[in-house]
Amino acid sequence: MRRIIFAFFLITNIATAQIDVGDTIPSIALKSTSNTEVNITSFKGKYVLIDFWASWCGPCRLGNKKLVKLHNEVSSDKIEIIGISIDTDTNKWLKAVEKDKIKFTQLIDSKGFDAETAIQFGVEELPSKFLFNAEGILIAKNPTEEEIIKLIEK
Amino acid sequence: MKKINKVYLVIASIVLMFSIKSNAQIVKAEIRATGLTCSMCSNAINKQLKALPEVTNVETDLNTNTFTVTLKEGNELSPKTFKEKVEKAGFFIGSLVITAKAETISKSPYILVNDKKGVTEVVQFQVVDKGYVTEKEFKKLSKSYKDISTYVANSEDDFHIKILN
Repeated sequence: MRRIIFAFFLITNIATAQIDVGDTIPSIALKSTSNTEVNITSFKGKYVLIDFWASWCGPCRLGNKKLVKLHNEVSSDKIEIIGISIDTDTNKWLKAVEKDKIKFTQLIDSKGFDAETAIQFGVEELPSKFLFNAEGILIAKNPTEEEIIKLIEK
Repeated sequence: MKKINKVYLVIASIVLMFSIKSNAQIVKAEIRATGLTCSMCSNAINKQLKALPEVTNVETDLNTNTFTVTLKEGNELSPKTFKEKVEKAGFFIGSLVITAKAETISKSPYILVNDKKGVTEVVQFQVVDKGYVTEKEFKKLSKSYKDISTYVANSEDDFHIKILN
């Protein structure tokens, strides 16, 4: 009986998996635009901003503009910006990256909202942003660019 | 005695109503959602629809912003369910096109606003009632269908449909 209850909790836990403030960045390796595998935990020692988006998501494309600006304004020694696309069509993703002139790290988990990474982070809408500190602890969900600058300049 | 007869009559007609409804069957629903934010950018509609036991598959078309919902054989879903689920997710229906077995539309909750052209096994139709089209479209349709008293009455339990095939 106990085992059943335990299993039940485990399942419900998986079903509602999501990252909350105070949680550690999960170890996830995804393909980048240059087709190399990048683990999102490999940037510890500086702030890491993860932005979930997709090429077909209008608000995300507007958000990309702001992220490009942030990337140009803030030293990459201080913060690593990682875009994670859930596009199912890799070509559309690559085209959008080029069009939006994105120079920061771009990864893809090409399964839409069913993407393992999106589920692990608990992404239910796009765009979704997660800011981790240098120790890899989540300190803010969906912060604005101004908030990000304030937090990392502290 | 008379009272009992009346009760029986009511029960019988309710049973009859439901048995008529159960013969109707929707095969597929194509839902275009609208709202203040990008409907495709949210997983909410998808989740609401997938949670229905009658639903076997939900596909999204990102070019047309359409959710295509495939339903189980023998289901008894009504257009109202789709409206409720989309609204629960925080959006509205912009258009709802349903594919159903041909006999479906001869059943009670459906009222045709145009003529059915040929004899087909499946029928495709759009629900044109308030809440199933955009506000703007509804205003237009209200003028076109001002002579259909049931359309003007705006009951939640009947569906005015425009046959597409």
